[in-house]
Amino acid sequence: MSNNITVIDRAGSPSQVEWEPEQTLMEALRDNDFPLLASCGGTASCATCHVYLEPQVVSGLGERSEDEIELLEEAEGFDAETSRLSCQVAHAQSLDGITVTLAPEE
Amino acid sequence: MSTPIVVVGAGHAGVHTASRLVELGYRGELILIDEEDGLPYERPPLSKDVLAGAESHEPPALRKQDYYEDKGIRRIAGSAVTAVDRSAREICLADGSTIPYHRLILATGSRARTLDVPGAALPGVQVLKTRADGRNLKAMLRPGVRFVIVGAGYIGMEVAAAAVKSGCSATVLEYQDRSMSRVTSEDVSRYFEDLHVAEGVQFAFGSSLERIEGSDRVEGVVTSDGETIPADVVVVGIGVLPNQELAEAAGLDCSDGIVVDEHARTSDPEIYAVGDVTRFTCPREGVSMRLECVQNAMAQADSAARHILGLDAAVAEVPWFWTVQHGVRLQTAGVRSSEDHVVRRGDPADGKFAVLYLRDGRLAALDTINALGDFAAGKKLIAAGARLDPVLAADRAVKLATTRTDDLAISR
Ligand SMILES: Cc1cc2nc3c(=O)[nH]c(=O)nc-3n(C[C@H](O)[C@H](O)[C@H](O)COP(=O)(O)OP(=O)(O)OC[C@H]3O[C@@H](n4cnc5c(N)ncnc54)[C@H](O)[C@@H]3O)c2cc1C
Ligand code: FES
Repeated sequence: MSNNITVIDRAGSPSQVEWEPEQTLMEALRDNDFPLLASCGGTASCATCHVYLEPQVVSGLGERSEDEIELLEEAEGFDAETSRLSCQVAHAQSLDGITVTLAPEE
Repeated sequence: MSTPIVVVGAGHAGVHTASRLVELGYRGELILIDEEDGLPYERPPLSKDVLAGAESHEPPALRKQDYYEDKGIRRIAGSAVTAVDRSAREICLADGSTIPYHRLILATGSRARTLDVPGAALPGVQVLKTRADGRNLKAMLRPGVRFVIVGAGYIGMEVAAAAVKSGCSATVLEYQDRSMSRVTSEDVSRYFEDLHVAEGVQFAFGSSLERIEGSDRVEGVVTSDGETIPADVVVVGIGVLPNQELAEAAGLDCSDGIVVDEHARTSDPEIYAVGDVTRFTCPREGVSMRLECVQNAMAQADSAARHILGLDAAVAEVPWFWTVQHGVRLQTAGVRSSEDHVVRRGDPADGKFAVLYLRDGRLAALDTINALGDFAAGKKLIAAGARLDPVLAADRAVKLATTRTDDLAISR
């Protein structure tokens, strides 16, 4: 089943988006026309898919890989509690209804 | 209805141009034509996850199936464009039909260069460029199969890694005296060669291939040293050639690539070209080049879409590239020159290091090995044209971003 999520763009305006089960969060954002460069195609190599999730959502997702953390730490607007690479966030039923905020562009 | 914008080729560059046009507000007719069948896909995984993965799988799609229809992008797959008629402003398809265009984008990419030696047409000789090539090669990765790989570039090295991982033997023939010599420095080459050797890959440097032997399939190769190496499969990874024939026949400026300006425009103002097929002058270094990477395909796609829609140009991402071999990730940002001053940052023995290329004191390019933080920081320093203190920068305990000596300098 698709998730319905709220996405807050870089201008601060929210919109409702459908996140389909076979997609990563990055793919859902990209395919709904949000300006994510995602230039590495989702291989945790570029950090251009950086988003913020609510702290309790992030902590529920489990450990970030070392690569993800290294990339995020150098990213514009990194926040230890809320930053994620959206390409590394797989679809899960439990993520229905979450709010995703796009990080500033690099 | 307005005359459509037509995109020829649905690789990274073609698909991204179509999606950028839609994202940036284009609502007219948009047609994406590709000679390949099926959904447009990611190419980098062909030599990485697709080959190295345990189960047989296909490269991921660039966009899901419904995307194109949802966005009003009409896709024509499995049909090659055979001619561009600039005076009539239309393109011709292989079946003889024609489609008019208002703006045309050539995103025809590149093809793998093939060997010009006796035996090169024997079954078992394989390049790796398309989804079909990936399937063929994957099927050959059976324990005990003997691979000879011609060319120690990124693709040859990735294939060698996948081969030994699958229990095949792998010998890499390379004319130069080290691996990846076109794209990286000696330190990095040697590091990766050692890694490959430890995993069982063999190298023959300074050695080219004279002929391929076999009666109805590959049985071996003969090198320029007169040596014969038995082989069941020969993988040719010796670079690519731009698919510029359509443009050339239509009289567009071409010179080992379709020549484009900073907006990805060709010598015909109504025709753009994007991706591997183009040659352009790098704004940062002022040199003419072709860049065969996803980042460049996407950046030019963005430039073309913006220019067509009359929007301001975006600031382009620094060119970058990555490869994964035996699980070790090499990421490169910027474009290195052999004259650059090389600074090694960290110790290869730690399995995490970087090599910096300084040009007139500023960071021009870098390679990072399992050091993504340095990659991300370095990419920004390159974009800023930052000057670095070479001594400080050599110390991995010091954050790369803090080794700038021109903190107050105006970045261009
Ligand atoms: C195995 C492999 C691994 C790679 N790894 C990396 C990597 O790790 N990182 C990286 O940045 N880059 C990598 N690359 C390079 C990257 O894939 C290319 O730079 C990128 O695909 C270029 O996109 P493109 O759209 O310009 O061309 P292409 O992807 O070549 O697509 C062009 C398309 O146009 C079609 N076409 C051509 N002529 C016609 C015609 N007349 N009519 C209709 N259609 C036509 C072609 O069939 C093709 O589908 C790799 C490439 C390969 C092959
Ligand atoms: S898409 Fe590149 S890191 Fe997520």
